[in-house]
Amino acid sequence: MGGIWSYFSGLFGTKERRILILGLDGAGKTTILYRLQVGEVVTTIPTIGFNVETVQFKNLKFQVWDLGGQTSIRPYWRCYYSNTDAIIYVVDSMDRERMGISKQELFSMLEEDELRKAVLVIFANKQDIEGAMTPSEVANALGLTAIKHKYQIFKTSAIKGEGLNEAMEWTANTLTQQK
Amino acid sequence: MTDSKYFTTTKKGEIFELKSELQSEKREKKKEAVKKVIASMTVGKDVSALFPDVVNCIQTDNLELKKLVYLYLMNYAKSQPDMAILAVNTFVKDCEDSNPLIRALAVRTMGCIRVDKIIDYLCQPLRNCLKDEDPYVRKTAAVCVAKLYDINAQLVEDQGFLDLLRDMLSDSNPMVVANAVAAISEILESSPTAQQVLEMNASTINKLLTALNECTEWGQVFILDAISNYTPKDDKEAQSICERVTPRLAHANAAVVLSAVKVIMKFMEMLDGTSEYVLTLVKKLAPPLVTLLSAEAEIQYVALRNINLIVQKRSDILKNEMKVFFVKYNDPIYVKLEKLDIMIRLTSQANIAQVLAELKEYSTEVDVDFVRKSVRAIGRCAIKVEPAAEKCVSTLLDLIQTKVNYVVQEAIVVIKDIFRKYPNKYESIIATLCENLDTLDEPEARASMIWIIGEYAERIDNADELLESFLEGFQDENSQVQLQLLTAIVKLFLKRPTDTQELVQQVLSLATQDSDNPDLRDRGYIYWRLLSTDPAAAKEVVLAEKPLISEETDLIEPTLLDELICHISSLASVYHKPPNSFVEGRQGGLRRALPPKSSSGNLAEQETQAVVENMGAPAAPQSTVIPGVDSLIGDLLDMDLGGPSMAQQQQMFGGPSQTPVQTSGAMDLLGEGLDSLLGGPAPAGDGGLGGLGDIFGMSQSQSYVPPQEVWIPAAKGKGLEVTGTFIRKNKQIIMDLTFSNKAMQPMAGFAIQFNKNSFGLIPANPLQVQSPLPPNQSASTSLVLNTTGPIQKMEPLTSLQVAVKNNIDVFYFSSNVPIHVFFTEDGEMEKRVFLATWKDIPAQNEVQYTISNVEHNADTVSAKLRNNNIFTVAKRNVEGQDMLYQSLKLTNGIWVLAELKIQPPNTNFVVSLRSGTPDIFPEIFQILDTILHN
Repeated sequence: MGGIWSYFSGLFGTKERRILILGLDGAGKTTILYRLQVGEVVTTIPTIGFNVETVQFKNLKFQVWDLGGQTSIRPYWRCYYSNTDAIIYVVDSMDRERMGISKQELFSMLEEDELRKAVLVIFANKQDIEGAMTPSEVANALGLTAIKHKYQIFKTSAIKGEGLNEAMEWTANTLTQQK
Repeated sequence: MTDSKYFTTTKKGEIFELKSELQSEKREKKKEAVKKVIASMTVGKDVSALFPDVVNCIQTDNLELKKLVYLYLMNYAKSQPDMAILAVNTFVKDCEDSNPLIRALAVRTMGCIRVDKIIDYLCQPLRNCLKDEDPYVRKTAAVCVAKLYDINAQLVEDQGFLDLLRDMLSDSNPMVVANAVAAISEILESSPTAQQVLEMNASTINKLLTALNECTEWGQVFILDAISNYTPKDDKEAQSICERVTPRLAHANAAVVLSAVKVIMKFMEMLDGTSEYVLTLVKKLAPPLVTLLSAEAEIQYVALRNINLIVQKRSDILKNEMKVFFVKYNDPIYVKLEKLDIMIRLTSQANIAQVLAELKEYSTEVDVDFVRKSVRAIGRCAIKVEPAAEKCVSTLLDLIQTKVNYVVQEAIVVIKDIFRKYPNKYESIIATLCENLDTLDEPEARASMIWIIGEYAERIDNADELLESFLEGFQDENSQVQLQLLTAIVKLFLKRPTDTQELVQQVLSLATQDSDNPDLRDRGYIYWRLLSTDPAAAKEVVLAEKPLISEETDLIEPTLLDELICHISSLASVYHKPPNSFVEGRQGGLRRALPPKSSSGNLAEQETQAVVENMGAPAAPQSTVIPGVDSLIGDLLDMDLGGPSMAQQQQMFGGPSQTPVQTSGAMDLLGEGLDSLLGGPAPAGDGGLGGLGDIFGMSQSQSYVPPQEVWIPAAKGKGLEVTGTFIRKNKQIIMDLTFSNKAMQPMAGFAIQFNKNSFGLIPANPLQVQSPLPPNQSASTSLVLNTTGPIQKMEPLTSLQVAVKNNIDVFYFSSNVPIHVFFTEDGEMEKRVFLATWKDIPAQNEVQYTISNVEHNADTVSAKLRNNNIFTVAKRNVEGQDMLYQSLKLTNGIWVLAELKIQPPNTNFVVSLRSGTPDIFPEIFQILDTILHN
């Protein structure tokens, strides 16, 4: 049964795409995941481990993996890289001090062979807070110009739900075009 | 290309295939893959490399898949402790799942993951589950606390889980209560520190008793075990608990029954044994125990081991149930042996005829072990039930007639015991026994037979021949047989000295010279010296009246029995060993003791008593007043001679350490001794019995001064001869030394040093001797000694090892310091104090000696002893006897009290010594003897 179902679903373009949400701890990854899935803000605790949910966007189905951002868990991100279609890299736009660390993690991740074909979407998150870095400031701080992957940066606020739809729209389009 | 290619991942093989299947998007395929992984894990293949991939499957709404992944986690979390952290978030989420089954599954798995790194994250979910609305989740969480406590006790205490657990005892659901009880018992067993928090009280016990009726059988076991560890505050409470537990005796589960029996056995201790209630309770205990014996053999065995304890504690419970313990032909051997044991314990005059008929039947079966034990059982019955002894003996004789080798041997072993129990009654059968001498090939049987021959040597005409025949293979015998043979021949010699002298000499030399066994050698030397010094005393010692034996010898020691009763229905009660002797890492556990008998009230007193009992100290006053150093004569007492004869031996001997063993003197020792034994009383103190012989005839002096001894002969000291003695003068201990130069050249650079010794003797000043010492000259010096040096117990106590140095070499010698130099001037005790102290010292710390041929009266004795700091505290005259009460104090603060009995025409004084440190008695007696003869 499962085999036939996935054959048909592939035909209609609803094949599940695999998306990883990564970023330093406290960037808002889990909030973004549940905002995308249920459209609400849920109270979260630091993710020790991971969350995985299926998100329906337009006619696309995404299997979204939200991985914990704690220093102790970052080494295990690599366990999730294979078959990934897109990476949502979430940056806390208020956290100027750790922009460097965030950049380091981003670049070491992008060096991975398994992620060679993945699309990169950067969320300059927490834009609802006054004094946050602008998307271009974030892009500069992360040194995005040096990236060879296909990428786009968005200004988002997971709390207010701003910018998420645009970002997903772009992701969905890019992935369908790539096909 | 190098060989390194073999070490790079090949991206092929089973693990790789599984990996890609696990990453599949299709759920069915994923589930299949996880099943394959679990299958590999179960058969022992290492699939830990798939850890992250399997864990990634954990978040699923498919319960089956989740269970499989959890199973994998339990197995491999320990080998991948770092990556186990990836699962934490799922636990947290699953503990909040709407499905109680998933919540319980998550909390159970959490408990099984023993990874230190992640337990901090799991506390909050656990706390939530402990307060969960669903009882299934709560009961699972309760067990999880105990598991967590095992990994990190401190964390559990800090997080307040113990309090939560205690609150669960009041839970509305009996299963939750049962699991909370189980968790608490587990925690208490591994750590007594948790006790304050988890202490049971009357109201929690009440709740437990309520839950008892409603929970599952295994829950009942937990609850009953917990109740048995509770100490009721008075007999009323104990009785009410017993009343509520009694219905459990009728349960179908053997574990429930035994646990209920344990509770009742324990609490019955607190009740008045004669009360109507206890009598009915005792009656109620029998049927459930009997019922256990109709279960399968394994359960029967466990039941029998427990019944064995119960019968020893309260034989009245099963006294009318003898028949159920009769052996069935198809019982397994372990059940048979156990039943036999219980049969003997239950034997009484009322049922002995029946039992004996059974035992006789058993003795003709085929199983050797069982037959042996049956024969032994007959002997034990004879010892236990006096009126039946005759019948037992005749049964044993019948069995001996069968000539079955092992039956005969067992019979002889038990007959020896029967002789010990009923002396001068059945000796007529000795002749029959002697007929079977040749068939005995087991050490125990041989030893028993030899004992019988020795003990009744005067009635066996050819005893000497029989023993001689055993002596031929002396070297090859078991040490048990050798010891018996030695004793038997000495007995024979004392009974028939004329024609057995050669035999005894032979056995003594075999025992002392040709044997490596220290026990045998020691015993040989003791006999040798006894025979050579005082044959009369030897007779008194070796042929002493032996105490009658009783059947109690094979009972479990009472304090141990009480502890085991508290562990009924556990492994301890099957092994008959306390748990700490076979469970590792549980030393911290509590020792259980039966509650003290009580009447209502005076709670505090009972508690202290309970504490004392918990410490394992028996209630009987057994502790010594002053904790003495290890008994000097300990190794002598270890020998398996009868108790009283040992004490006598010790007395007669004045401590074996007193006389330095002179290897050269040992041989002619016996020659002289034997002569004197045959020819008349031996001259006292003659021969190689040590340096004290020379003492007699010394000039009288104020304080007793032992004669100078040669410590280093010139031959050994490369020309230096050292002689000397110890005296006490002006409240000081002084070592008088004389150095003689017998070499050809002058000597110089003298120095002296002491080894550590019992009394801490140490030179107060450096040695001062004329130096250089010309050839053929002597120099004397007095060295003042302090008792402030390092202390080490010596053997004998008064031994002092000394090193003397000069320009030629260092010389070592060992000397005996006469103990009286340690008697201090302030050793006079006040009368009242003396009286109190005398009474305080337990009687077993008293030893009596006889000092013979003293030509003094009470007054001169008193004066003589006073000169040596032995003070007469009081004196009284009772019926012509002078009683002198004396005290002395040693430099190390040990007091010795003495009572001297003088009956004027008689020149033998009897002295009784009492002290907290009985080790020094031999030395004290020796010096008293010497001083009084001086």
